[in-house]
Amino acid sequence: MAQEISFTPSTVEQVRAAVADTRASHPRLLVTGAGTASGWGAPAEPADAVIDTTSLTGVLKYAPSDLTIAVRAGTPFTTVQETLAEAGQRVVLDPARARRGATIGGLLATADAGPLRTAFGSLRDLVIGTTVVLGDGTVARSGGHVIKNVAGYDLAKLFHGSLGTLGVVAEVVLRSHPLPPAMCTVAVEAGAVEAFDLAGKVVMTGLEASALEWSGGRLLVKLEGTPEGVEQRERELCRLAGATARVLTAEEADAAWAGVAAIADGVQGTTVVRIGTMPAAGPVLVTRMVAAGAAVASSMAIGVHTVRFAGGDHDELLTQLHAEFGAAVTVLRRDGLSADRGWGPPPAPVRVLQAIKRQFDPAGRFGAGRFSPWLEDEERAS
Amino acid sequence: MPQRLHAEFVEAVGADAVASDPVALRSYECDGLTGFRVVPSLVLVPRTAEAVAAAVRVCAKHDVPFVARGAGSGLSGGALPVADGVVISLQRLRSVVEIDVVNRRAIVEPGVTNVDISRAAAPYGLYFAPDPSSQQVCTIGGNVAENSGGAHCLKYGFTVHHIHSAEVVLPDGSTTVLGGDSPQLGGYDLLGAFIGSEGTLGIATRITVKLLAKPAAVKTLVADFPSVEQAGDTVSAVIEAGIVPAAVEMMNALAIKAVEAAVDAGYSRDAAAALVVELDGPQAEVDAQFAQVKRLCEEFGATKLRIPASAEERALVWKGRKAAFAAVGRISPNYFVQDGVVPRTQLATALTRISELAAGAGLRVANVFHAGDGNLHPLVLYSEAAGEHERAETLSRAIAELCVDLGGSLSGEHGIGTDKVCSMPRQFSEDDLATMARLRLAYDPAGICNPGKLLPTPRLCGERPGVYQPHPLEAAGLIERM
Repeated sequence: MAQEISFTPSTVEQVRAAVADTRASHPRLLVTGAGTASGWGAPAEPADAVIDTTSLTGVLKYAPSDLTIAVRAGTPFTTVQETLAEAGQRVVLDPARARRGATIGGLLATADAGPLRTAFGSLRDLVIGTTVVLGDGTVARSGGHVIKNVAGYDLAKLFHGSLGTLGVVAEVVLRSHPLPPAMCTVAVEAGAVEAFDLAGKVVMTGLEASALEWSGGRLLVKLEGTPEGVEQRERELCRLAGATARVLTAEEADAAWAGVAAIADGVQGTTVVRIGTMPAAGPVLVTRMVAAGAAVASSMAIGVHTVRFAGGDHDELLTQLHAEFGAAVTVLRRDGLSADRGWGPPPAPVRVLQAIKRQFDPAGRFGAGRFSPWLEDEERAS
Repeated sequence: MPQRLHAEFVEAVGADAVASDPVALRSYECDGLTGFRVVPSLVLVPRTAEAVAAAVRVCAKHDVPFVARGAGSGLSGGALPVADGVVISLQRLRSVVEIDVVNRRAIVEPGVTNVDISRAAAPYGLYFAPDPSSQQVCTIGGNVAENSGGAHCLKYGFTVHHIHSAEVVLPDGSTTVLGGDSPQLGGYDLLGAFIGSEGTLGIATRITVKLLAKPAAVKTLVADFPSVEQAGDTVSAVIEAGIVPAAVEMMNALAIKAVEAAVDAGYSRDAAAALVVELDGPQAEVDAQFAQVKRLCEEFGATKLRIPASAEERALVWKGRKAAFAAVGRISPNYFVQDGVVPRTQLATALTRISELAAGAGLRVANVFHAGDGNLHPLVLYSEAAGEHERAETLSRAIAELCVDLGGSLSGEHGIGTDKVCSMPRQFSEDDLATMARLRLAYDPAGICNPGKLLPTPRLCGERPGVYQPHPLEAAGLIERM
């Protein structure tokens, strides 16, 4: 077997060269970014070479008036935000991992997002173009530099959540939004059921909350906009929510959102999973998880729940969640799981996933094991 | 079509769902892009998702190409039939299966019209956000196939942002579900890649769409400008002020004339350009930003501001705007609709170059566009009778390719279809296109699902050397390349 080596390309061409040159000598590749999601999904099998994207950085083109920015995929998300902030803009995404240096490419490959997902989705909804490098050295672009564009297939979607199993994401073009001039967070003491009802009311009243996150016995509502607008909506929200609603100070708000992020981060010895449900099924699940001693951050209005189990053995718990929620369960941290623990029941179109893997990476070069056991039959066959 | 094959289709969908007489077949020969016409061998009009799957299974078994069709209102020839193939019309699958108020979503069949979803959701204070101008007739299945936009996608995004899941009949006739109950689902985003795939990856037979709460407040203004450049600069100023309007639309003098001739929507007939700006959201947000937009319009030289005083008046403004394509028929016997996108900051350059190109061709171009996102709809006016067809077609293609050269795209919302398939190499390299073809192969190795659309082929666009793709048997080590 070839000796394990590492490449740190800083341009698309260098990525292409590294991938193409190792076809024979180092067939199995592992793509890494900042390493903030190395525990996600199933464990990667040992590779012959690592494509480390942390030098693949830099803003390629920023057009503030067009609300678009093109960056190399290894650029840390916070660097992108800093660049945008200078022109009064941002990418409307707040994943917990950003604080730990997560890269744009890594966030795309993991389909990660934070509480702002309630209003703005994930990178799937914000990426307007990508350049990827496939295992045979093909460099392929899709999308472009304009927000509205339906020419060709949108390959960025395939790489969203691909965990490095299709190829290397080398460049990404993102849609930016103006930074809101004002924002506030209102916290409402509420159990999961009440919080779900309140979240529904907030949506139906047209308050346009950017985030509606239940955690630690309260619903956190983020309002963003003009100073006049935020003030009016804050008053309306407090009226709607009743006596336990409180507008947080800036420091309190920062602490509250940091608490939400900490649940996704996990700590040594914990297991963290993200579960998708129908929104209305959220309160029951969340209540059960809390009763089992877990910490939960739940985007109530859209049914995305991040659950952190404290120390111990969590294999049995995961088995139950898999049985109930199937492919909607993603492991984010696996300290309480047995080493080879993989994904649960595959999603309905697993044959399509396999066919795409076979088409894009016929030699099986990328990320072996990360979707185990979903792609394994195919991997064995190839 | 051979009698035995015909019988299999009858068995799959029922005799009353098979049309084969020449007159019926002729009525499916084109979609909204009438310049391309192909009469199919057979038209199937199944009543259930199961029948759609059964029909596709027959196609798969005998390698018969099939083309799915909704309302046939597409403007890129995406539903153009294949001569030796069948058309599968989804027109009979048009029930709104469920409105789930608590989870704010609707389960609908693909033949339901865009506007009927919002109609069904209205009693609950909900609506479906994507609003293509053809929303009265176009179907949700078609919207999914084309990733349709509309006037309000500047703030609300496109169809892809408003679909939770879709039951899909794959090209082998099997049925699966893409997407899920929430955005959190392991694996590649197959639903996202399916939306906008122009009917080339399968047929959606049941779609779960996202419903939004109606905005608390809506305010609209129509501003007249002495030039399209000034109107364009105003749009830039609004965006740069950090405002994201629900919609920003522009029409030039020719388009205004057409609209007024057809609809009488109250646009000023003598304006060089009209800008429609709509803000929606919480009342105080809308009030604050509306004042800012008004001020910017005045600052950039608006000669008149009209603010609809009622919902009815606002509806009339939109009726005029959405009728623009059809209205152009009032001022020209024939026209082509173009759909290019430029980075918004290139709008003025694009418009200047388009008028130069039009002058060079000796033809008139009406401009209607989604100014907020740089999506142009130049309407190339011509007369078939005067023999201007070819000149108009050339001009129309030149405009689309100009958009690519300015850093934009061939299509913002109408799709590539048949119309622009041979322009694709202008925007994408051979490797880009070959990689897109891999996605298609994963779904449709036999190449029977809406063939000839979206990706150029040597047969359609002349010989073009492609990247070498090993035969599957060769890849599996069973045969060797000689």
